[in-house]
Amino acid sequence: MTRLLDARGLEMTFRNGDEPTPVLRGVDVQLGAGELTALIGASGSGKSTLLSIIGLLLRPTAGTIEIAGERVEGLSDARRTLFRNSRLGFVFQSHHLLPDFTATENVAFPAAAPAGRLTPAMRLRARELLVRVGLGDRMDFPATRLSGGQKQRVAIARALMNRPKLILADEPTGALDRESADQVLTLMKEVNEQDKATFLICTHDSLVAARCGRSTTLQDGRVVPTPARGE
Amino acid sequence: MTVFAFTVARRYLLSNPLQTILLVAGVALGVTIFVFITALIHGLAILLTHQVTANSAHVTLEPATRIARVLKSPGVDTEAVALVSTFQRQQIREWRSTVALVRLQPGISSVGAQITGSAFLLKGEASEPVAITGVDPDSLDDITPISTLLVGGDANLEAGGILIGYRLAGDLGVSPGQPVLLRTERGVDRLLAVQGVFKTGVQTVDERVAYLSLPLARPLFRLPEGVTNIEVKLTDPQGARPLAALLHGATGLRATPWQDKNLSLDEALTAQAQTGQLIQMFSLVSIIIGVASALVLSTYRRRSEIGIMRAFGVSGAFVSWVFVLQGLMIGLIGAVVGCVAGYGLCLMLEGLTKADGTPALPIAPEQGGYLAALVLTTLGAVLASVAPARSAARLDPLEAIQQ
Ligand SMILES: Nc1ncnc2c1ncn2[C@@H]1O[C@H](COP(=O)(O)OP(=O)(O)OP(=O)(O)O)[C@@H](O)[C@H]1O
Ligand SMILES: [Mg+2]
Repeated sequence: MTRLLDARGLEMTFRNGDEPTPVLRGVDVQLGAGELTALIGASGSGKSTLLSIIGLLLRPTAGTIEIAGERVEGLSDARRTLFRNSRLGFVFQSHHLLPDFTATENVAFPAAAPAGRLTPAMRLRARELLVRVGLGDRMDFPATRLSGGQKQRVAIARALMNRPKLILADEPTGALDRESADQVLTLMKEVNEQDKATFLICTHDSLVAARCGRSTTLQDGRVVPTPARGE
Repeated sequence: MTVFAFTVARRYLLSNPLQTILLVAGVALGVTIFVFITALIHGLAILLTHQVTANSAHVTLEPATRIARVLKSPGVDTEAVALVSTFQRQQIREWRSTVALVRLQPGISSVGAQITGSAFLLKGEASEPVAITGVDPDSLDDITPISTLLVGGDANLEAGGILIGYRLAGDLGVSPGQPVLLRTERGVDRLLAVQGVFKTGVQTVDERVAYLSLPLARPLFRLPEGVTNIEVKLTDPQGARPLAALLHGATGLRATPWQDKNLSLDEALTAQAQTGQLIQMFSLVSIIIGVASALVLSTYRRRSEIGIMRAFGVSGAFVSWVFVLQGLMIGLIGAVVGCVAGYGLCLMLEGLTKADGTPALPIAPEQGGYLAALVLTTLGAVLASVAPARSAARLDPLEAIQQ
């Protein structure tokens, strides 16, 4: 299996005033292409921080990151923006849909904004993605008229719009009920299997973690061996 | 700028229609005030200029003034003052050729040679100083349309009478047909009949000015040939200054354009224009502040949306454009609505009349500075959007998402 993500020696120390808060103290993460990996750890262990660093939303204090064969930790802000747009997909705990746009427009947005216009081809792809996440009958609904679970599925379709290599999901089911959470996870697994897209899903939910192929555990700012199930 | 940025900007404005309508209305109100003030100030300037130029000469030609010159000679310390001859009478002798010359100039509506001088009008114990104007009876109305302003008698100067203002008539207690005694500065007395009484509405004229015929004025002021001044009226009063310069050069006579005789009008117009500019500036500044504050609020409210856009790779420039375009649309629509409303308001106010039928406000609706209002407002609104747009573009996506 080819390696899609290779992050080494990641350190992150926040400085609030004079007090340095070390959050990551040398984290190595490797993901193979097409893997679906859960990132688990106690609250405050630094999962979101690690995801933001890998997602090029936050610069690490130290360490190297290689995604799809490209070294990215030193890229300029503009190149990072471009890289996020073309190679990465994001799903957050909150759906973060744009309330003034329809489901289709929300999905197509990451393609339309850089291109400068919403082309019919983009619209078509967005609709295909919506059908795929089970929202074929809600495509022209305003984002605000969808249920929580539906919104999260639109957010997943949006993350897939530009055919990303790596999809980073931070507690994607955290705000959903059991049933919706199940649907969302099933959907991600499907995409993972059919598109060979790589997923890193950060979660508290042991059921979610259990359904992922692999898991990585953060503790005290380091990656530790994942405890055996049931412990 | 891109089509899609425009789409997003429009969607944002439409997402809260009431707020957008209020914002555009605010801009439009500012523009309406701008247009109204501009039209009013132009209208006032036109009215004041007309009042001054309609009933008076636009260029006055007079003999060059006697000036005492200081003579300097080398080797002599003391300064000798050249004595000015006062034996010569101040007059324009070759006035016929001068009048002919003036007539050749373009844009002349009338030329009249006059004899003016001071005198007293006496009636019983009453004695009032007057400024006498001796005019060619045929061209009495050329400079001031006196015959249209009569309140009594007639304007037939050929009959050898005198025309006086209604205030003077009141002061002397005379009415048309009655005789008055005229005593000129040259010491000539003559009993004249009051031919007509006029009312110009200008107090000094109605109190102190009298007209009689030029042939009659000659013996009274002992000027058998010359005249004292030539009055010129133009079709466009604004041409007075260059014509005055030209005539002075050609004739050597003192040529005074109407502007120089009414320096206070010039000052009043300038002061008025400055006040107008100040009000225009304030309305513009209030527009800019209004648009900027609305957009700052909007970027703040949409922080998390902007953050998520940035997270999935929308550029800061795109985000900037979304807000600049909102400013542009608000400014442009507000300016157009304001111009239309301002024009309508001016038309409405122009139609208002006082009890006597004259316009209540001297407003010039077609001179509302519409292009300036349109350009300045749109530019101002775009300018107002720059700071909010930049701050939106600089938003840290992570911080925005975590909010
Ligand atoms: N901007 C910041 N400034 C200072 N400290 C921060 C900042 N962001 C995160 N932290 C700290 O880093 C630590 C890890 O935070 P992070 O959000 O990564 O944890 P997490 O594992 O995602 O927790 P949770 O499971 O509750 O979401 C926390 O102690 C947090 O207080
Ligand atoms: Mg977290």
